[in-house]
Amino acid sequence: MIQDKYAEEIKGILARYPTKKSAALPLMHLAQREYGHMSREAMQEVASILDLDPTHILSLTGFYTLYYEEPVGKYVLEVCNDLACALKGADEFAAMASEKLGIDVDETTADGLFTLKTVMCLAACDRAPMLQCNLAFHEHLDEAKFEALIAKLRAEAASGKMAPSVVEKIAAYAKQS
Amino acid sequence: MSDDLVTLSVDGVEVSVPKGTLVVDAAKKIGNDIPVFCYHPKLEPVGMCRMCLVEIGLPMRDRATGEPLLNEDGTPQINFGRGLQTGCTVQVSPGMVVRTKTDPVEQARADVIEFLLTSHPLDCPICDKGGECPLQNLTMRHGRGNSRMVFADKLHMEKHVPLGDLIFLDRERCIQCARCVRFQDEVAGDPVIGFHNRGRHLEIATLSEPGFDSYWSGNTTDICPVGALTTADFRFGARPWELTPVATLSPHCPSGSNMTVSTRREAKAGGRSVIKRVMPRQHEAVNEIWISDKDRFVHHFAESADRLTQPLVRKNGKLVAASWTEALDVVAGKLQQAGTAVAGVSGDRLSNEDLFLFQELFRKGLKSNNLDLANGRLAGGDIVAQVGISSGSNLKDLGKGDVVVVVASDLHEEVPVWWLRLKQAAERGAAIVTLNVRGTRLDKYAKHALRYVPGEAVATLRQLVNQSKVETDGQSDDPIAAAAATVGSAGNLVAFYGAEGLTYDETESVAKLLANLLLLKNGDGHAGKKNNGLIPVWPHNNTQGAWDMGIHPSFAPGYKALPEAGLDAHAMYEGAASGTVKALYVLGADPIGDGLMDGRGKLDFLVVQEMFLTATAAAADVVLPAQSWVEREGTFTNAERRVQRYYPAITPVGDSRADWQILAQVGERVGLGKPALAASLVFRDVVKAVKQYKGMDYRSLAKYEKQWPDVGGDDLYYGGNAYENRSGLGQQWVAAAESGKVGMFEVAETAVKSSPGLKLVRTAALYTPGTLISHSAALLGPRMAQPTLSLSTADARKVGVADGNRVEVTANGMTMTATARVGDAPDGVALISGVAYVPGTAVVQIRKLQEEKVA
Amino acid sequence: MFGEIVKGLYTTLKHLFQPPVTVQYPEIKRPVRNRFKGRHELKRYENGLEKCIGCALCAAACPADAIFVEASENSDEKRFSPGERYASTYEINMMRCIFCGYCEDACPTQAIVLEKSYELSFYDRASAIYTKEMLIVDVPVNGRSTPQVVEPGIFNRAIPEMEDPK
Repeated sequence: MIQDKYAEEIKGILARYPTKKSAALPLMHLAQREYGHMSREAMQEVASILDLDPTHILSLTGFYTLYYEEPVGKYVLEVCNDLACALKGADEFAAMASEKLGIDVDETTADGLFTLKTVMCLAACDRAPMLQCNLAFHEHLDEAKFEALIAKLRAEAASGKMAPSVVEKIAAYAKQS
Repeated sequence: MSDDLVTLSVDGVEVSVPKGTLVVDAAKKIGNDIPVFCYHPKLEPVGMCRMCLVEIGLPMRDRATGEPLLNEDGTPQINFGRGLQTGCTVQVSPGMVVRTKTDPVEQARADVIEFLLTSHPLDCPICDKGGECPLQNLTMRHGRGNSRMVFADKLHMEKHVPLGDLIFLDRERCIQCARCVRFQDEVAGDPVIGFHNRGRHLEIATLSEPGFDSYWSGNTTDICPVGALTTADFRFGARPWELTPVATLSPHCPSGSNMTVSTRREAKAGGRSVIKRVMPRQHEAVNEIWISDKDRFVHHFAESADRLTQPLVRKNGKLVAASWTEALDVVAGKLQQAGTAVAGVSGDRLSNEDLFLFQELFRKGLKSNNLDLANGRLAGGDIVAQVGISSGSNLKDLGKGDVVVVVASDLHEEVPVWWLRLKQAAERGAAIVTLNVRGTRLDKYAKHALRYVPGEAVATLRQLVNQSKVETDGQSDDPIAAAAATVGSAGNLVAFYGAEGLTYDETESVAKLLANLLLLKNGDGHAGKKNNGLIPVWPHNNTQGAWDMGIHPSFAPGYKALPEAGLDAHAMYEGAASGTVKALYVLGADPIGDGLMDGRGKLDFLVVQEMFLTATAAAADVVLPAQSWVEREGTFTNAERRVQRYYPAITPVGDSRADWQILAQVGERVGLGKPALAASLVFRDVVKAVKQYKGMDYRSLAKYEKQWPDVGGDDLYYGGNAYENRSGLGQQWVAAAESGKVGMFEVAETAVKSSPGLKLVRTAALYTPGTLISHSAALLGPRMAQPTLSLSTADARKVGVADGNRVEVTANGMTMTATARVGDAPDGVALISGVAYVPGTAVVQIRKLQEEKVA
Repeated sequence: MFGEIVKGLYTTLKHLFQPPVTVQYPEIKRPVRNRFKGRHELKRYENGLEKCIGCALCAAACPADAIFVEASENSDEKRFSPGERYASTYEINMMRCIFCGYCEDACPTQAIVLEKSYELSFYDRASAIYTKEMLIVDVPVNGRSTPQVVEPGIFNRAIPEMEDPK
């Protein structure tokens, strides 16, 4: 229960806003950091803190791409396939990535390392095809560069010096802003 | 007045509309249907679907002088800007020119249709909306008839998504107009459905427990402009063009909600016509275009398999089928034999005609005043006749500066339509003052939510009334004083009162105090003025009519006081037990089943007129099968004293007869002369006897006029939303205060009897089990209110009960079992819901039951 | 005058020696034309599922009000037709039917077809009402009878092969 575990932090967040409803997004970050993704239980918890119907939290989770409804891997690879990127071969790139990782879009590898997603515009149209891995951009990609990236991340994970997981990173960013 | 009107031209036709009107509504006023999907006149405009794009031009003005620029011929120059604008979000302005028939507009409409249909499955042949579908209609009118999109690229999504047990979603058909989501948020105040995901993957989702947890969910299927939302009741039930709409009224709710039952003759039912669905019928002064789910789904009792189909007479200790003649002869004979020891109780769901003839049978035929409602919860019908809400009032007109007082009632559970309308009033600026023993949902919209200690309702209300007489500056720390200041400064004042936790006598005092509040001479009294007055929260749809018809031991029809009062229901039940009452006539009620009467006691004769073999009927000597409200016609009077008609819709079940008919036939046998042949003729006699109903007849009650907004089945604009009212708006009778002076009421000081211990208060729940709802159970079964006992945390600790425990509750000699809920009640009060009616507040004993071992 | 009588009798005489145009029905039955519209049949797909989806458009199109349809909901455990809806009652009153074929035109799945059978006679009015069981064709060789238990998620479209509009 985040309500008990982070009572002080939640109080601080609520104090920043004129109405409780406005504190939904930061609380959702908190819940996601705690549970790794926005599970139905997490939504219920956030909703009960804010006196909202959980449906509202579900709506927000579905609307914003950085809230995950399903558990995600340590590295979330988000390939932009919006119009400009698609014209530069983003769909083919995503298909290649999916084949290389052995998973479909929106799936996670069996070792729990990678989740592949496609997303709407990330504002790097001039550098397509591109992807975002745990909020860091990787641009002008091709098959070789993608393989190199995967190899690097695998090595990083194997060495044990893993960077913070995506949900931790998102939560940290959210806190800064 | 003319200052508030704005004149504009739509396709060359001049129209003047109030300031703030939207372009689509202005066009609609002159019969120009600008097509819309997301816009709905009862919802805030959002401009999401883009269907209403039109050319809107404004007169040009000289920048320097501000003078209008004119063409050479003297007409004003109009600037149409660069693109099209959404007519549903633009408000009218003087001199505006709107063009709705030009090529760019027609092309935009065709494009929007084409776009909306990119992923629409076009499965109109199996769609329940097909035939009354705005998307279908507007595609036929404005679409191109072909598409540049490839059919194979259509996105296929789930077609069977239950959003709870009542409403189903077809994701493919949804055009993302958000009418349902906005309705739940803006109108119903239950934001339990929402958009999930984005773009083409967007879907309607709910996370509430149970799914789509709202008393209003059915209305979303009405306003859905496609077949995306369907009800469990009507899913694949029939095609809309096969249905016969029949105007009817809510058989449950004292608001008198106008509804339409759609019927069809069916092979499955052996060629009988059956109810396929219930939809709202527009009445802007009663229920607008909304009905609660109870009204929509609790109609199956009428076609229930266990309806009584023929008269039963007890022979050798057993109820056996008999002919009408035999049964009626027995009834008439036995009633006359009983002499003065005859009594009658009636339910308050019956029509005015039925109740009037019941009264005639007793007062004129049997010369007895022993006549009462079987379960009278709320007193004050006679006070309502004096200061009831004035005729011509409309809760929709309440707004800024107006005050609504709600005493001892949980409107959300008792009369959802009023809850909805008061919520809207509060949002328009009206101040709501609630006075209750516990918190209700209305408190959220209330300016002052006052509480009283159980048993002190009258004293607290008296304080409020007395303080409202005093001019104050409105600044006070005392909540009652603050509320009194609000009430004292009210523009219009409407007062509702219910019976939650009150005894019958207490409700009478409450009614009188509220009447005094309305009569106070701060300015010059509210009573008698439009949009002011008293509204009783009656328990049933025609309790008002029962009062009007004189179903009361001390009032004849029309509130004429009787020289000698008869027995009230309580005295009758006691008389039945002790043997002083010999014969009892029970009309549409179940006093034994409701726990008011302990078996038939020493009665010589018990006759029950009912639709079902209730506990009382099972104990009777004669059971007369009555028709349900959809099988016959009649009138109900709602709590705002509006007399309205309803019409026969389905084939009568078995040999059952209309209540008025049965009563007239009994009446004939006790010497009241030839029975009337039709309900309309009985109503003529009603009008003669009840002076308040003067001037009414079936024809005048059926009068209607065009209402705004324009909704209707065959209308392209909001097609399929609700039924247009073409069967009558009814007539409101005039309260005494409207036509003359009414004196203040004397309210005796009552000593507050405080007894120690936890006090039990029964609270209402919309789906509380009862005769009607239990015979319509299939659909609402899972939502039926279960016996629940709510305690405060402190009290729960004291009695040693935890959340979810099964408990045994004993009060006033009655024992019930319930599930405990901790935390939802004020200290010192135990709230019980989902059980039969318990009057007043009683000291309660609570015992925790041992959990049964799971085998 | 006399000449005219001879002329008339000659015509009669001539026909005596021509082959007869009448047919000895019911011993002999004439083949019907291709476009002949006889008794209706409700068709099935090859797998045995019913083509009729209970949309009642045939009933709506019928100028004689001869057709009556009641629909119910399909499930994968009890499937009569593809999609969500099937006809649980389907009746045609053959005494009302005028064999115009509008029902066939209205049908979105080509489920109802006016076939070649024309021998419709009844002893009473009630037997003029043809029920679904009488109208539906036999299950094809490789098909199964309805209701079928099917694999979930396959037959989810009421109109399986929807084409681009031309």
